[in-house]
Amino acid sequence: MQQHKGFSMEQKKARWGWIFVAPTLAFFLVFSFYPIGNAIYMSFFKKNLLSLKPPEFVGWGNYKYLFSSDMFWQSVANTAIFTVGTFIPLVVLSLVLAAFIMSRTKLQKFLQMALYSPAALSSVVAALIWLLIFDPRGLANQALNFINGTSGVNYHWLSNANMLRLSTIILYFWKYIGYFTIVFIAGIGGIPDYLHEAALIDGANRWQDFWHITFPLLKPTTLLVSVMVMIQCLKTFSTQYLFTTSGAPTRPIDVITLSIYNTAIKDHNIGRASAMSVLLFLVMLVLTWLQFRISRTEEVTYM
Amino acid sequence: MKRSTWLLAVAIIVSLSFGVGAAKPIELTYWTHTDDNRTEIENRYIAEFTKMYPNVRVKRVVNEASKMGDIVLTAFSANNAPDLFNLPIEQEYGYMKNYRVAPVDCKAIGVKNYDELKSQYIKGTFDAVTMGGKIYGLPLEITNWCIYINKKVFRDAGLDPEKDYPKTWEDMADISDKIAIRNGDILVRRGFDFRYPYYLVSFLPMVEQLGGKLLSDDGKTAIVNDKAWLQVLEYMREWGPHGRNLGSPTYAAPRKIWNKDNNDIAMCLSGFYQQGRLQNDNPAFFESKEWMVVPFPVFKNAVNDVACSFYGHYLMVNAQAPKEKQEMAWKLADYMLSHSMEYLVKVNLIQPRKELLTSKTFKNLPYTEVFMADMNRAHPVFLHENGYQFERFIKEAVEGVMLSKVPPKEALNTLRNRIQEVLDNE
Repeated sequence: MQQHKGFSMEQKKARWGWIFVAPTLAFFLVFSFYPIGNAIYMSFFKKNLLSLKPPEFVGWGNYKYLFSSDMFWQSVANTAIFTVGTFIPLVVLSLVLAAFIMSRTKLQKFLQMALYSPAALSSVVAALIWLLIFDPRGLANQALNFINGTSGVNYHWLSNANMLRLSTIILYFWKYIGYFTIVFIAGIGGIPDYLHEAALIDGANRWQDFWHITFPLLKPTTLLVSVMVMIQCLKTFSTQYLFTTSGAPTRPIDVITLSIYNTAIKDHNIGRASAMSVLLFLVMLVLTWLQFRISRTEEVTYM
Repeated sequence: MKRSTWLLAVAIIVSLSFGVGAAKPIELTYWTHTDDNRTEIENRYIAEFTKMYPNVRVKRVVNEASKMGDIVLTAFSANNAPDLFNLPIEQEYGYMKNYRVAPVDCKAIGVKNYDELKSQYIKGTFDAVTMGGKIYGLPLEITNWCIYINKKVFRDAGLDPEKDYPKTWEDMADISDKIAIRNGDILVRRGFDFRYPYYLVSFLPMVEQLGGKLLSDDGKTAIVNDKAWLQVLEYMREWGPHGRNLGSPTYAAPRKIWNKDNNDIAMCLSGFYQQGRLQNDNPAFFESKEWMVVPFPVFKNAVNDVACSFYGHYLMVNAQAPKEKQEMAWKLADYMLSHSMEYLVKVNLIQPRKELLTSKTFKNLPYTEVFMADMNRAHPVFLHENGYQFERFIKEAVEGVMLSKVPPKEALNTLRNRIQEVLDNE
């Protein structure tokens, strides 16, 4: 077959490939890469968001300030507490729930829908619902008083530092558990049936089937979920923002994103806020790379 | 004769065509916050205005009040801001300091100079928007807060509202304690509770009553008069759940639940506008006369008689807009604000024009004399380019002592260090 002048079949395919991905690439360039590049650039300047004066180059000044600021380290600690507190239960329990739902023969769809429904709510609505629950006269205190057989004890869901952190974790867990359960369900559904059947023929019970067949083969899904959960947790903002604007103390839940918002929008210090964003971006990048690196040790293949 | 008629006709045609040419189309964008009653009257004013100036089109954009600050800031930082807008003065101050807004165009609003403009309003109206001898905004509303009292709750607690209402902050705590109903630690009924996020408006005046200040007069030193600050922080600690347990920022905002008259709060801190909202939310309670308004209390050992600070929303014009747009924006602002009586009657907004405040209609409205008396012993809200940052630090200090058992001295030292750091970096 005669080839087109100057282009091999491979080159032709590649050219069409570029044409197809060009819109997405353009989108990413404008809405993702440009802001990232701009944030990195701005992080070396002192710039008031409202000022018409040109930005003042400060080199590493913003980074030096952040590394010596106790408020920044407090927000790093708050982010770490929130991420660890949410990441582990969210990944583990969404996997457990997915396995449980897939083991049911009835009500599978209903359970999936019921679990997923909070994810469809906006973060603002979810936070408002939970603010009512955590109100001193709300359901959370009533439930704990009922369980403990006490009356009128205020558990300070929104005022005690540790309870407040727990409140944000509960809200986040409630909102996203269904979403990640669905992702795991999709992963479990992708494992070929003959593998389970073979295990059953070999005399494996359900637990052994889950532990030796399902769990190892779910590794790509587990990796995907863990990366998504981690990034989501590090980026958490609206819950903390709404809680603090509704009366909760800021210090225990002043996560990095909230600190970035306050620095940029309330204090107009876009240079310092950009430096914080760059640091958060680097942390996410390193943690994601680490997760991929760790998971690469055992590749999954279906025989 | 015939020739002169021709000449006249030509002159008219030429002048008309030049006139049309000069009045080139102008599209003004006006951003404001949600308020259904205000939207109704302002849409009418805009329709009337565009009839007077047929070449002008006005796009009025309404944003949620809580998001307005972020939206306007983002628009200005992207050099894509509205021609005319309003924000609380604490936020607008930064726009003035950075010359993002234009000074009032006297010619456009039909006054000879700033003195003539000032003479139309009560004293001090423009203090917050005056910089370098120029005025940067026209007042859409000026608000100060007093104490709203539900008389029924007072009587239910065995108190006579007319006699026993709180005159001092010490009274306020004692009366709130009498009114409070608790289920264990949980407050089921509160006497009074503060408007927690607004520390510059209502908390700072409490410190000032005792002789304290946020910044020294030269603006270089944070926290003046530790004793005053410590007394107020101690008062707040006592107020909170680890003290006398009279209230906390984590309960429902008092202003919102007070209107419901559900026997869950007796007093709240609010502005004149609360009456309009009460009329909408609970007309029966509004008509019942079972409520009253009393002045902002002072401490027993106060050295300054300072009421709650007044703040305002001012209409401002984008300095980056073309000159003809700026001029037209001021004309529109002036036209809307020339209806101050309707703003008062239909929207419950006080625009401090002398003719309005001396009118019978104003004086006959409930408790306007209380608000005006308090206004006379108040000053504008603390203004600083980093005002919001300072307010956040005060929030942390107050809530630290109230909710996290931070000792007042430690909270004050942290507050001082944080504000000082910002001042030193300026």
